[in-house]
Amino acid sequence: MAEIPKARDFFESSRAAVGDHELRRKLESASARHLDHFAKVKAEFPAYDDERDAACRIKTGAIAHLDELLIELTSKLEARGCKVFFAEDAAAARDYIVELARAKGAKNAVKGKSMTTEEIELNGALARAGIDAVETDLGEYIVQLRGERPSHIITPAIHLSKEEIGQLFTDQFGVEYTAEPEEITAEARSRLRAIFLAADFGVTGVNFAIAETGTIVIVENEGNGRLSSTMPETFVALMGIEKVIPRLEDLSHFLEILARTATGQKITSYTSLITGPRREGELDGPGEMHVVIIDNGRSSMIADPVLREALNCIRCGACLNVCPIYRRIGGHAYRSVYPGPIGSIVSPNLFGAGAGYLPFASTLCGACKDICPVKIDIPRILLHLRWKESAGEHPLRWPRAIERARRGARRFARMARYPRTVRALGKFAAMWLKPLAHNGYLRRMPGPFGNWTKYRDFPRPRPRRRPAPAPERPAG
Amino acid sequence: MGARSHPHAAAASAAIPVAESAHRAALASEFARELEEVGGVFLGILTPSEVTNRIVSLAGEIGAKSVAFGKGVVTDMDAIGEALERADFRIVRTVPVADTERGAMRERVANAELGIAEADFAIASTGTLAVVSNGDRPSALTLLPPATLAIVQIDRVKANLAAVLAELGPDGVAANRLTLITGPSRTADIEKRIVLGVHGPKSIYVAVVWPRDD
Repeated sequence: MAEIPKARDFFESSRAAVGDHELRRKLESASARHLDHFAKVKAEFPAYDDERDAACRIKTGAIAHLDELLIELTSKLEARGCKVFFAEDAAAARDYIVELARAKGAKNAVKGKSMTTEEIELNGALARAGIDAVETDLGEYIVQLRGERPSHIITPAIHLSKEEIGQLFTDQFGVEYTAEPEEITAEARSRLRAIFLAADFGVTGVNFAIAETGTIVIVENEGNGRLSSTMPETFVALMGIEKVIPRLEDLSHFLEILARTATGQKITSYTSLITGPRREGELDGPGEMHVVIIDNGRSSMIADPVLREALNCIRCGACLNVCPIYRRIGGHAYRSVYPGPIGSIVSPNLFGAGAGYLPFASTLCGACKDICPVKIDIPRILLHLRWKESAGEHPLRWPRAIERARRGARRFARMARYPRTVRALGKFAAMWLKPLAHNGYLRRMPGPFGNWTKYRDFPRPRPRRRPAPAPERPAG
Repeated sequence: MGARSHPHAAAASAAIPVAESAHRAALASEFARELEEVGGVFLGILTPSEVTNRIVSLAGEIGAKSVAFGKGVVTDMDAIGEALERADFRIVRTVPVADTERGAMRERVANAELGIAEADFAIASTGTLAVVSNGDRPSALTLLPPATLAIVQIDRVKANLAAVLAELGPDGVAANRLTLITGPSRTADIEKRIVLGVHGPKSIYVAVVWPRDD
């Protein structure tokens, strides 16, 4: 087997996370607050559903014409003085950026918040090349200081309390302990400001790329995206191929919904529309601007008519906040860069079959589909991926209990073709299990069925008084 | 809204037709409400000379020693600069720089306590400023100093983002960097508690200019 399935790890980490009541409290309070804000801004904006329809329509159209749009985007970017690099996979993108930093003699790199740089594991690669890469989004900065990954695509440090963060700053910088978010933030500001003024290499993600004008759009609240893209002499914007939208006029539809669903704001504090490097005489902007456009499995998602829809995602993170699984286990337990419902779809496609267990980490309740600003039918895609996984060449190796249950289900499916046998066995089971039941439920079942009752009760089988006549088996 | 002529319009040469000005005032007040909701401070709808006076008094109120500003879009920033100088503030005028001067100029802007910029447009529905930056008006003015003061002409307050993007057009957007600014820099990364001024300015003041001086 080429890939090493990680399903067992996921079971372990999720079990541990479910038992972590403090984590649960933090996740529940953050999610509840987000949903409150979202409900409020949505109610105040009657055009929300129209904008959502428009955004969904534009994205679907863009994905359908991605080849043409990427050609247009590239030629416009180049016309504006950007250097464009197409990376087929994570390694190609990583190598290009590291090589560029080396060639420029960069020493201090600053990074704006970007899930795509996490996807290609850029920080480690830069560090190995002797380049110090500092995350500058406050949440990412905190997570980086702890040597962790973000646990949420919008609020990376959602799993940490203010006390834990205060302690972290005391341990790392020797400053006096405080759990006041204001004071912690002020400390981070002054440290990061000094880093920005000395930075020679900047990397950020991209929220949208406008093909018509060759413009990169960065949406943020803190201003670190503005600093990362204006202060360093060399600036790299890293984007997935799916970030391109056709026209400037399309942009407002996305900006009207993105912040509302992502953070419950009407619009974020800063939206930067960057077209090319700095012009003659300008104070701000990089001398050189590179746009790295990465595929890394995305085009194979386009090839699948069901999966394609997932590329509409604008990474607002709302599906995480409503997901009953995410709210119980948090982002780290998924063991993937992209957690939550949308992560369970994109991860197996970006990171290979090893993450094939993720589509099973869902109750298919549909809350994600309801909140999705671009109307991605996440449960349908998860079911599709489950089917693909089971029918695939290298089906997952599940923990033994689950493997046994699956074998049992297959055996039952074969047996169920013979109604008389099923009825006879049912009668036998009802008689046999009767003495074990309490109030009509079995707390523990014997033998291989015990796995079911480990976590839940089983209603006692009762023989039907008048068995329905067996339906005719259809011919053929 | 059509430019319908008011009966008395002929008397005052610079007067704006009533229907139009009522519309503008409504947009400006919506803008003001949204700006305050995101933590900005609305200084009012002022005449150009009132704007100059207000800037000088505000610079004093926030304890600024050094004030940075660039060229205006239509506003005469020199008059503001002179008034600030008369009131003994150190002024940093952003002008196009050669590569060798860039670091020093950045340092001076970063060390100013107040950055003043004229916004190209304002968006009423979200309290947003749309600021195009170029050699005379760097983006640093609204990013590096801890406080931003923005001026916007009342006829440039638009209903929503779509209207502003349409006004600028693809060429306008592609010509320079465009920044949409809505309130102060903010974060909610620590337990979802909102903290202002994480990287950019902690406070933002906006004056809307009514284009006539009585």
